[in-house]
Amino acid sequence: MRNESGPLKLLLVEDSPADAYLVREAIRAEGLPFELQVAEDGEIALEILDQLDSPSGSAALSLLLLDINVPRQDGTVVLERLRRIERCAGVPVVMISSSDSPGDRERAFELGATEYFRKPSSLAEFMQLGKIVRRLCMGATAA
Amino acid sequence: MSDFNNFSRSTVFSRPEPEPDLLARLAQAEETIQAIHHGEVDAVVVNGPRGPQVYTLEGADHPYRVLVEKMHEGTVTLNDHGLTLYSNPQFASLVGAEPHAVTGSQFTCFLQESDANMFASLMEAAIGRGHSSGNLNLREQRGSLIPVRVSLTLLDIAGIKNISILVSDLREQQRNEAILREEKLSRLILDQAGECIVVIDPQGTIVRRSESAKALVGGFMLLERFDDVFPLTSAGEPFNANRILTAAAAGKPIRGLDVTMPHADRRTSALLVSARPLWSEASELLGCVVVLTDITERKRAEEALAQQAAELARSNSDLRQFAYSASHDLREPLRQLAVFSELIQQRVGDRLGEEGTHLVGYAVNSAHRMEKLLADLLAYIQAADAPQDAAASTDANEVMKKIVGTFQERIAETGARIQCGPLPVLAVHEVHLVQLLQNLIGNALKYKSDQPPLIHVEAERAAGEMWRLSVSDNGIGIKPDYQALIFGLFQRLHGGGKYSGSGIGLAICQKIVHRYGGTISVKSELGRGSTFLFTLPGASA
Repeated sequence: MRNESGPLKLLLVEDSPADAYLVREAIRAEGLPFELQVAEDGEIALEILDQLDSPSGSAALSLLLLDINVPRQDGTVVLERLRRIERCAGVPVVMISSSDSPGDRERAFELGATEYFRKPSSLAEFMQLGKIVRRLCMGATAA
Repeated sequence: MSDFNNFSRSTVFSRPEPEPDLLARLAQAEETIQAIHHGEVDAVVVNGPRGPQVYTLEGADHPYRVLVEKMHEGTVTLNDHGLTLYSNPQFASLVGAEPHAVTGSQFTCFLQESDANMFASLMEAAIGRGHSSGNLNLREQRGSLIPVRVSLTLLDIAGIKNISILVSDLREQQRNEAILREEKLSRLILDQAGECIVVIDPQGTIVRRSESAKALVGGFMLLERFDDVFPLTSAGEPFNANRILTAAAAGKPIRGLDVTMPHADRRTSALLVSARPLWSEASELLGCVVVLTDITERKRAEEALAQQAAELARSNSDLRQFAYSASHDLREPLRQLAVFSELIQQRVGDRLGEEGTHLVGYAVNSAHRMEKLLADLLAYIQAADAPQDAAASTDANEVMKKIVGTFQERIAETGARIQCGPLPVLAVHEVHLVQLLQNLIGNALKYKSDQPPLIHVEAERAAGEMWRLSVSDNGIGIKPDYQALIFGLFQRLHGGGKYSGSGIGLAICQKIVHRYGGTISVKSELGRGSTFLFTLPGASA
């Protein structure tokens, strides 16, 4: 899963700048080189994925961080689009949500999420997201 | 009959002719013979040399005898001591005896005993005044009583005083009177019945109707056509006499069918129609009895009620949606507030100084408290929203095991003991039973006295399918004044210090119990612990 030739290529679909900031902080705390692209709604996320799918597409994606509840296009549509891109088929997806209902968690895995991360209200817990990213991108042994 | 004067219709006088004309006399004689022949003459009075002489004609008695023997009424002749000298067959059959057995008997033998005195007075009156009459009861041989009218006439024949009695059976008359009374009663019932009752014949013509039926349409005449008077429609289709009669003839009575009827003044009545066939004794269809019940007012009230209910449901749903959105959406910025406050402490804490760090700490705490509050509020809303599955079935023993697991740490900390009797399988969603018992056990652990908590969970059968469960503790207890309040939303009995909480837990419990048709209550004594009692439906085996 690791991008051998450079920093991790991460895509975050998140409409809240505050949460985007926290996600970035959590990953940064892990000390890994990374590039984080933020799509503020589903439509922008789809455009980015379209570019990935073109022959002139940029380097492959290391990980998708997806808030399911974003404007314009639902997060599920973004996830489906990602899974249709051949070289992205194995890209891990962390579903980020403010819901802690078991139903939402189950649905996320049904849709093909690799991890489900409920946005917590304590800083220490939020920082755990960085560890999840490290584990998924570097492999369990590197964590 | 110019030369004969009628004597009481049937007696003829013959006057002497000084110089009779032969032809005229012959004609007179022929007429007289003719009259005798036809029974018009019973006796002839001839003025002879020894004065007028009466010649009775024996043949004239005959029709009277026949009449007496054949007539419908009974007749008897008594002597002045009440002994029966003669009875016609009708009287004998009336009292159920042979005529010869009647003759020679005292007439009072055939009377109801209590009528003997009255009969004696009638006899006395007849002997004194020549005639009397009254109503009596005969007693026939088998003992049944026959009401009769008796007319007594004194017969003074050659100085011998006999009494002739004409006896008329009153039974038929009484029967007719009873029928008449009944007929009158049914007319009164029909007139005064609150229901609109209309009787139609097989041609759909109205033959009877109650006054209320007249009032419903503002008056109508009998023999009008049902369809003209009652232009009914059912589900947009005309509902006419033909349909009523067809259904009746097919043996399908109409029961409470909804119909509407327009009025001339543009009002519309909502009616319920019931109709039953009317059969004669010979099983001919005589028509139908149609009953119309005016439900216009009831219908209007029902519609108003349904509208209110719909509005209420809508506003309820709006409120729930609002509460859900509010509590859900408020959590997001609050969560960020909490995290960023911490981030401030962490990143720039050294520049804030001791006081600044302290103040940010308050902000973090407040944000966390509010977050917990919103989470509980959300749980409260969801306690009502979760789908109610009729087939839900949860073993309360399993749920208790889970809850003990959840509170493991707290149980160890406090040295609590939880004693649990055998519990039933309940027709309740697991998520609800967990929420309910977790709140109650959690409270018992939280509001503990100085002693280690001792918690009992028990169940017993209640009315019908219900079970009564109890959770009791040896905690601090609840003042009687507060016991009615504790199930309300945001009801907290303790200041923020010693016991934390949102005041929603018991409101959630009550909501869950109510949605399964149960009740929840508390018995408690301050300083001596509390017992929460609630009922829930058992799962059908």
